[in-house]
Amino acid sequence: MIDALCDQAVGKDIAVVGLYCDFRAQQEQSTTNMLGAILKQLSSRGGIPRHIREAFHKSKEEFSGRLPRLPDMVEILKKTIMSLRRIYVCIDALDESAPGHRRELLESLQEMVRVSPNMRILLTGRPHIDDEIVEFFSKAIRIPVIPTQDDIKSYLEMRLGCDTTPKAMDAELRADIMRIIPEKISEM
Amino acid sequence: MLSGRQQVVGNVNSFNALTNYNNTSIVNITAGQDAERHQIIRWLSPLEPLQRHGGVQTDRLDSVGNWVLETNEFRKWCDGEDGCVEPVLFCYGNPGVGKTYLRYDRKAACLETGNAGVTDN
Repeated sequence: MIDALCDQAVGKDIAVVGLYCDFRAQQEQSTTNMLGAILKQLSSRGGIPRHIREAFHKSKEEFSGRLPRLPDMVEILKKTIMSLRRIYVCIDALDESAPGHRRELLESLQEMVRVSPNMRILLTGRPHIDDEIVEFFSKAIRIPVIPTQDDIKSYLEMRLGCDTTPKAMDAELRADIMRIIPEKISEM
Repeated sequence: MLSGRQQVVGNVNSFNALTNYNNTSIVNITAGQDAERHQIIRWLSPLEPLQRHGGVQTDRLDSVGNWVLETNEFRKWCDGEDGCVEPVLFCYGNPGVGKTYLRYDRKAACLETGNAGVTDN
């Protein structure tokens, strides 16, 4: 999805950034680090915007190199987003973030969206975080992701193609796998 | 994610960049700017989301999940005018349905080459 957005963004002063939540990295994935990673991606090409450099030097001189705090990070990000025509922020597996971090992240995003109409946010996650998202974004658009029969068949074909002992399977077994698994999944 | 060791190596490399190129003032300035850039990037966040995106691109299957991009909801969210559409889209599903892999199938370096970046002013 990130790539699909990138395709349409090419040459239009539109930025696409992606973040991923991982339950094994909950500690590091604090809200400040997540928002910092957006800035990091925006700075990965071209120069570093002056206001970011200034904030860095200020922290170095006045606070002996202290890492950015959340309110500072939100302000830096708001300012950076102003210079773009549009930004798409994609956050994958939001359900894997620590509950406290997730609320804080949603709250920060809510604050940014309020002042940055050029910001679009794509979230993916398991259904149980829906209530939390609605709490911060009451009108969020929601799309249920359910694999289609074709999706399942493509995946099965790929997996059967990787079989290390293909001779152990005859055509009949293969046909059964291709028929029964998609049926069963559809019934779920 | 940078491991502690990688961070140490990164620090050593920045230090080397500064100490090895003291011969001419021009090179010295360039190395200084690069070192500052690395310091700022590291200061912003220790996370490395671009590395993970590369892995997802390699693992995914073409065509799977493309239908999501064709839905009216997605198109409207993606193309609508600022202020006229709800800015937040939530794609939800149970574990393993392929949310992460929704069409990550284009140019591997897309985020490097495709996005607008921000200007150095």
